[in-house]
Amino acid sequence: MGRIVGGFATSHVLFPPTGVEDKATRVIDGMLEMRARIRALSPDVIVLAASDHLNNFSLAMQVTLAVGVADEFTTLGDSGAPAVTFQGMRDFAEGFVRFAGGREFDLVQVEEARPDHGMAIPRLVIDPKNEFRIVPVYINCNMPVPPSPSRCYRLGGALKDYVESERPAGERAVVVGAGGLSHWLCLPEQGKVAADFDEAFIDKMISGRAEELARLTTHEIELASGNGGLEATAWLFVAGALPAARGDKLYYEPIPEWISGMGGVSLSPAAA
Amino acid sequence: MTVAPYRVHKLIQELMRDPARAAAFAEDPEPAFEVFGLAEAEKALLRDGSPAALHKLGVHANLQMKYARLRLRPAGTAVPGGGPLAAYLDRLLED
Repeated sequence: MGRIVGGFATSHVLFPPTGVEDKATRVIDGMLEMRARIRALSPDVIVLAASDHLNNFSLAMQVTLAVGVADEFTTLGDSGAPAVTFQGMRDFAEGFVRFAGGREFDLVQVEEARPDHGMAIPRLVIDPKNEFRIVPVYINCNMPVPPSPSRCYRLGGALKDYVESERPAGERAVVVGAGGLSHWLCLPEQGKVAADFDEAFIDKMISGRAEELARLTTHEIELASGNGGLEATAWLFVAGALPAARGDKLYYEPIPEWISGMGGVSLSPAAA
Repeated sequence: MTVAPYRVHKLIQELMRDPARAAAFAEDPEPAFEVFGLAEAEKALLRDGSPAALHKLGVHANLQMKYARLRLRPAGTAVPGGGPLAAYLDRLLED
């Protein structure tokens, strides 16, 4: 059996540091700590979950949960992240889709996508040398009917079961969720940051209580943390893959100038 | 919350994938408004183009940002100052 050896979650944007230099430095420090911890785990595969921002999946055909199964992907090059080609892991990705099909998840297989900043920025953070194989999982909260928090958490559980029951002995998987925390994008509230909600979310993520977060409805998360706050469903995917895990807050900074609560956490699997 | 008719979203989605049509739109949006069959009220809000107008029309948040780029400059034009990550790339790319 394989093992999920670590889970991580992080915001997936960066903006110029002008006027918020100290906060920006702490955000980057936290992201680089995440990089160091992932490297120390020596993963054979990284599952990277995030939303698409209507760059690959449009309103013409609304994809909510999908897995990148191709041998390689080239990032889109938006939001300042350089376009980079990275290796996927076809057998892992296709196997996960088949396994999840037996768990009531009909996932979309994606052969062609240009992962946008939602994945490209965290990829740049965790793998600057382009040495890891990365399986993109789309938790696409930007669709008009997004996947529910509970469903994202349970999909993480399906990933855990897949790795532990279907993957080769000794295979080490790391799961990374990217997006959030609170932000109201292109809404009258834009610039508001729900620091209390974000801090409570982080606290539950790292204290073995993420299942409580998965009981929130889409509407409750959106009301408390904005339309962009729904990106935290990628965090819940990670939490579902490491149930009852505890961990560390790597950084949290409310940055209204970036219209976002910026946060990151590290999770270690709970003892069996 | 209001949701814009699909024809509005279709206009933005199709223009953002077609640099030639996007460039023509930046010069004169009226022909595209006609092609996509927009109502007069929808055209007026898109001509306004402000966040308040696009919110009133119910344009999807991600497409609001793409629409702003369509209006501001021809597709493919570089962002002044090297983009939002410029200040961090040295640290992010170092090993």
